[in-house]
Amino acid sequence: MRISSNTAALNAIYNLQKGQTTLNRLTELTTSDQNINRPSDDPTATSTLLNISDALNAINQYSTNITKATTSLDATNNALTGISDTITQAKSLVDSISNGSDSASDRQSAHDQLVSLKQQLIDYANTQSGDTYVFGGTSSATAPFSSTSNSYSGDSNQSKVEIAENSYQTVNITGDRLLKGSGSNPSYGSTDILKTLDNLISAVGDSTTTSDATALQQGAKDLEAGATQINNAQIDVAARMKRLDTMSTMNTNNKTTLENVVSDIQNVDLTMVGVELSQQQTAYEAALAATAKISSLSLLDYL
Amino acid sequence: MSLNSVLQIGASGLSAYQTAISVTGENISNVNTTGYSRQTAVLETAPQSTSSGGLSLGNGVSVVSVQRSYDAVLQKELANAQTGQGYDTTKSTVLQEIEPSFNEVSTDGLGTAISDFFNSWQDLTSNPAGTAERQAVLTAAQNLADNFNSVSTTLSNAVTSQNSSLVTLTDSINQNLTSIAQLNSQIKVIGQSGGDANELKDQRDQKIQDLAQQIGITYTENSDGTTDVQYADSGAALVTGSQAGSFSLTTNATTGLYDVNLTAAGGTAATTVTPTSGTLGATVELRDTIIPGYQSQLDTLATTIATKVNAQQQAGYDLTGTAGIALFSPATNAATIAVNSAITGTSQIAASSSASSTGDGSNALTIADLANDTTAMSGSTFSGYYTSLVTQVGQDGQTSKNNVTQDEAYSNQLSTLRESNSGVSLDEELVNLTKYQQSYQASAKLITTVTDMMDTVLGLIS
Repeated sequence: MRISSNTAALNAIYNLQKGQTTLNRLTELTTSDQNINRPSDDPTATSTLLNISDALNAINQYSTNITKATTSLDATNNALTGISDTITQAKSLVDSISNGSDSASDRQSAHDQLVSLKQQLIDYANTQSGDTYVFGGTSSATAPFSSTSNSYSGDSNQSKVEIAENSYQTVNITGDRLLKGSGSNPSYGSTDILKTLDNLISAVGDSTTTSDATALQQGAKDLEAGATQINNAQIDVAARMKRLDTMSTMNTNNKTTLENVVSDIQNVDLTMVGVELSQQQTAYEAALAATAKISSLSLLDYL
Repeated sequence: MSLNSVLQIGASGLSAYQTAISVTGENISNVNTTGYSRQTAVLETAPQSTSSGGLSLGNGVSVVSVQRSYDAVLQKELANAQTGQGYDTTKSTVLQEIEPSFNEVSTDGLGTAISDFFNSWQDLTSNPAGTAERQAVLTAAQNLADNFNSVSTTLSNAVTSQNSSLVTLTDSINQNLTSIAQLNSQIKVIGQSGGDANELKDQRDQKIQDLAQQIGITYTENSDGTTDVQYADSGAALVTGSQAGSFSLTTNATTGLYDVNLTAAGGTAATTVTPTSGTLGATVELRDTIIPGYQSQLDTLATTIATKVNAQQQAGYDLTGTAGIALFSPATNAATIAVNSAITGTSQIAASSSASSTGDGSNALTIADLANDTTAMSGSTFSGYYTSLVTQVGQDGQTSKNNVTQDEAYSNQLSTLRESNSGVSLDEELVNLTKYQQSYQASAKLITTVTDMMDTVLGLIS
């Protein structure tokens, strides 16, 4: 093949350009530390990466949902413990005077204690998490219970959050199920705890009224049933928290797996790129040196 | 046989080598001229005459022609390669300009905006009455609309710029066609007067190569030295002898974009053509098929998200217990999608599914779950649909990039072959130069020798 002056130049330009392109690509890999910097680098891997990134986004959102639900359930749990303690106190008070008392001052004291225990119970039942009343159902605007009336002003709607795709968890426990013993699915019991306390307050009498022993004993029984009702609610909350915990672990595991896949695709093997880069650099330098040497050759120098 | 005829032989040598050196000079000076084919002075012995003694003696040397080294087949291959390269390069360049708008891999774009939007509804389910959560939904909706608008603008700008680039492109094509026709007529005139017109032919062939990059062509070389060019896409004559056809643009009343028309060489009526090859073909294809294809997928996505979210938002109740109103308006395409201007406050987000229970979040949950609805985009989720759009853009980009690399390798190989055949080698020319110079010196020596001989003869007389 006949070689013209431009053949060498053309080939040199073409090959140097190719060398530059490879160097540039390797430099991009090293500096960005990403194998895929734009969809056209590898469309198939891009598709995988984007699908995983969607899945990761969803998992992060579910984790946030779980955290928020856990916070709300923690508040619920604390309130339930308070209610349970209050009922225990009321029970021991009622037990101590189960046969009534002849002492006017004892009766008055028991009466006063029961009134304040009921108030304490209502305070617990009006616990808020953020702006919402934890036992108020989904009507968050007003407190579900008041000291003046035994009626429940919340609703019996249970709010749900998504904790994995198409998997939901009920978060709140409504006050009617808890203290009024009404509602079903879940039903914790059928005792109207507020009414029971009112009955006890009137049964214990006061400084002027005598105690009603029969009513007191019935009240003690009802209070026992109320304590079980609260206990059932506590068990339900514990079960929910356990589920959230499990889901959270599962989400974390999924996340780790997916992130591993991403890093397998996306992370640059720096050792390999480093070796390639130095190889390419040597080759490029050699090409430059050869080009310079050949370009300077001319018959003119010898004529 | 006289001394005079020997003098003539010397003179023929001087003149032939002068011509040869001038051809060599032309080669050397055009070593870097694109499209130049090296020329060679073809030397031949001058017609001989018979002398009185019956001996056959020559009459010296003459340059019969100046030949250019030219391979017609290779030239055609090169023209075809140019057409492919013109098409792929244009396509690749424009696709690379569009790609950043879809680069979800390195930056957050529309894909993230979609996820964020539905995630903001998820957040709302945890605290349906919360002002901050509601504000987050509105902000995410605004961000989603902005992202749709921005990607859509990039695409429609690309269509507009392709359309306007047709003006300069067809101008340049027309210039090439006119030049080829003019060169044809000059070549023909010189040919008729017995000349070679090598340089003009080189210039014309180069114009043909330039033209081949812009549009697909076929061409035939005629015996009078002219070249006729035909349009590969329709077969119409672009150049016939000294007549050139031309491309023109008219604005289409329906689309508002240019229609490409062609007036054939020698013709008067322009007919609409659909270019499919070369730079022109790529430009028209990008403008009419590829980019509008992306655009329509984007529009479908925007419209479906807006329609589904609007329907669900209207099925729910806002914080005041009023039925929800559309969140997006108008829900017709990605370019105009926006948050409904009637939504003025965070309370208008319809998170509740019951008018009486304003703290309920079940409608928000239903909207959030639209993100997982695999039937939303005929078999895929919103994000999945967008991912496949991104993948398609990436795939198109990769394919055209690979094609360009192959085209370059092929062109380079053909150019090397052309150079091998037609290119000037300075070393070769320098050797020729030395050779011709020595021959010129020798011819001159012949003349001085004959002059001496003549002096000798004249000396005899005196």
